[in-house]
Amino acid sequence: MVAEIGFGALIVAFVVSIYGIVAGIYGARRHAEPWLESGRRAMLLTWPLITLAVLCLVALLVGGHYEVQYVYNVTSSFMPLYLKVTALWGGQAGSLVFWSWLMAAFASAVTLRKWDRDREFLPWVIVVTLVTLAFFLGLVIFVENPFVRFWQMPDGRQAVAMFAPRGALPLVPMEGRGLNPLLRHPGMILHPPMLYLGFVSFVIPYAFGIAALVTGRTDDRWIRITRRWTLVAWLFLSLGLILGSRWAYDVLGWGGYWGWDPVEIAAFMPWLSGTAFLHSVMIQEKRGLFKRWNMILIILTYALVIFGTFLTRSGVLSSVHAFAQSAIGPLFFGFIAITFLGSLGLLLYRWNDLRSEGVMTSLLSREALFLLNNLLFMGVLVVCFWGVIYPLISEIITGQKVTVGPSYYERSTGPLFAALLLLMGIAPLSAWGHSTLKTLGRALWKPLVASVVIVVGLWVGGIRAWSALLAFWLVALVSLVTLYEYYRAVVARHRRTGENYLRALWNLAGRNRRRYGGYIIHLGVVLMALGIIGIELFQTETQGTVQPGGSLRLGNYTMLFQRLDVFDTQDGRNVARAVVSVFKGDRYVGELHPRRDFFYDSQQTMTIPGVRSTMEDDFYVLLVDWQSSAQGITFKVYHNPLVNWLWVGGLVFILGTLVAAWPDREAEPTRARATQSLAAQRVRP
Amino acid sequence: MSTESKPTTGSRSLSPVIIVVSFVLLIGFLYLIGQGLRRAYAGPIAIGQKVPAFELTTFEGAVIRTADWQGKVIVVNFWASWCKPCEQEAADLEQAWQRYRPGGEVLFLGVDYVDTEPEARAFIEKFGLTYPNGPDLRTKISQMFRIQGVPETYIIDRGGRLAFVKKGPTTLNEITGVIDQLLAQAP
Repeated sequence: MVAEIGFGALIVAFVVSIYGIVAGIYGARRHAEPWLESGRRAMLLTWPLITLAVLCLVALLVGGHYEVQYVYNVTSSFMPLYLKVTALWGGQAGSLVFWSWLMAAFASAVTLRKWDRDREFLPWVIVVTLVTLAFFLGLVIFVENPFVRFWQMPDGRQAVAMFAPRGALPLVPMEGRGLNPLLRHPGMILHPPMLYLGFVSFVIPYAFGIAALVTGRTDDRWIRITRRWTLVAWLFLSLGLILGSRWAYDVLGWGGYWGWDPVEIAAFMPWLSGTAFLHSVMIQEKRGLFKRWNMILIILTYALVIFGTFLTRSGVLSSVHAFAQSAIGPLFFGFIAITFLGSLGLLLYRWNDLRSEGVMTSLLSREALFLLNNLLFMGVLVVCFWGVIYPLISEIITGQKVTVGPSYYERSTGPLFAALLLLMGIAPLSAWGHSTLKTLGRALWKPLVASVVIVVGLWVGGIRAWSALLAFWLVALVSLVTLYEYYRAVVARHRRTGENYLRALWNLAGRNRRRYGGYIIHLGVVLMALGIIGIELFQTETQGTVQPGGSLRLGNYTMLFQRLDVFDTQDGRNVARAVVSVFKGDRYVGELHPRRDFFYDSQQTMTIPGVRSTMEDDFYVLLVDWQSSAQGITFKVYHNPLVNWLWVGGLVFILGTLVAAWPDREAEPTRARATQSLAAQRVRP
Repeated sequence: MSTESKPTTGSRSLSPVIIVVSFVLLIGFLYLIGQGLRRAYAGPIAIGQKVPAFELTTFEGAVIRTADWQGKVIVVNFWASWCKPCEQEAADLEQAWQRYRPGGEVLFLGVDYVDTEPEARAFIEKFGLTYPNGPDLRTKISQMFRIQGVPETYIIDRGGRLAFVKKGPTTLNEITGVIDQLLAQAP
């Protein structure tokens, strides 16, 4: 019964979405307000309907209804309640429902805003979001239905169907297969929803962009409305990526955080174009430049979101992330073809309306440096894109699927990332409109000198690798510039208003959240860069087989293997847990428990490292092999300097995004714009 | 859409070349992923189809080339040490191998799919497997057969065509039935 209700709710939501699309288009063409209003209400109705379907599915998961195929595939009675709930996105069908649910939530939220000033956008925003939603609902209903059940046919065969075939009896397995143990990690439980949230919220700015193209209202209004949406989308996408890295570091057991896997890149690509978009919209807002470019970027971001989802779910590329192959590939392909071609057609149709209102006057101006930033992000994107589709190209040309490895990505993106860091140091100091070498130099020289002093200090301290020195110099420069900017602004505000420094800092960030939030984000990036430099350039590792009482050395560290415990747990695991003592120099610093869990229900093993983590470094021990215990136990040991700065930086980064996205009073931006255009008029002859 | 006012001043019109090029690029990209998708969905080699020649490097380091076994029957079994159903069928496979080994007309190949070597060797030892077993390096063989999981068993006839596919564990009776039938056929 619950399955029928859930499935019914999905069908109704699908029909309502189709109706909303039709009503939106008809209302827009006929300027028929009642139809528009009706379409808007249809959009609002989708969320409660899909919520009902989600609740039904969760009820089935929690209730252990193994007659439902999806429940059978992703849960087992051993699993705790929270894992049964989060199994909602543990498999293909459920995660598509979950995706639709989030999409509907965002679509509803955007419909709730006041539309008085932007009424002409409304129908097209409804159409674009509902087309996307209807597509995902269609996938769920027609191809990947999470509510299908097992049936025993009269002739003894088993069947899987939504409704009972003639003469069939329900078939209820005693036990489910259980969730893949790799996914039973807090990072992994939150990682997919964050990515989905990032993905679906990018649909909103895209919908407004398309609405602007269709209506021909090509001023920066669509950007202003969606500014916060974009930031929120970007926040979730960033969170998703950071959580995924953390999960990989904790769980996958290769001492790394990022493997340049096609699906990681698939999530990274919209982040890259989205980041470029976030920067370049500011140029359009301030200077009226780059209208076309912004439109291209938002279309590209949406396209990459859809393409990334397609890659993950169609089985076109092999990856650790891939879902089981399913029939959604061809449908997805059709959707991609239609949306990409439609967007491109619309963009070219409006090309001439999207002319810039101003001109760029100086190569060192803020807008010129933003343009450079965009080009660098696009460079990274091209590298990633080429790497992802290369296997497909090679398969067509040579018949063999050749995959490019991490070294390709590292070598080609490394210099681009370094250039981006450098730019991050310089750009905040340049002014809108025009900057000269002189004005830039005046702002830059103090942080520059200080950063060089730091590098000299590191050199004296014994670091000789030029790549590391260059990287540390960039990190130092950007941090100093950012802090110096804060310092100058706070001092200026203190002088002007007489507020104390702390209060001045607080008000400063409050006045121009995007700018000062952005600086915090930059600081976060720099800290993350510090962690990445540490692990990429200074990671060391060793492997060895030792008897109890034996030890392994790595750098300054020694680990002493004490003993191995093998035991069963209540929740259906067999655990092999080693106890090792860690010494730094001669000093005892703690005990670690690297272990290997074997899950009886899913017959899978999982390696969990023992990690001693400090801000200076991580000492990371993996239990590689323990069965051939005659020779001893094999351990793999990593020393990862500075890696914790990656996570700290991630937190700072998120904090900065929150500051930037925090709502401020509506009236402010319009006033700023008004005074600015007044000023612009005065300058022009 | 009819109400908007078109700007009239200094409109640089978009060159048709650019329009054509952008659509060609996009369609080229769509063709590319379309082809990738088609291949991904091509499914396993169908029964009656020629199986391309491949080679397997065994855990002992020997290289077995199916091209050297033309005119014989070849049994390809995909397995992994972490796979429970594989344990079910392992003894049966070995027993079948023992039956045909003296005749020299049938080759058994065990392809170890996504596994770690110590565990895989322990598995071979545990079930006393004596037919050639080796890791599927870069999952080339399993990609060629487009296996969906383990265990899966494929039997190739004397003409090099796929004659039998079993997804899931097989049994002694099942494979000997198929092999005897295939051996009776003329090469």
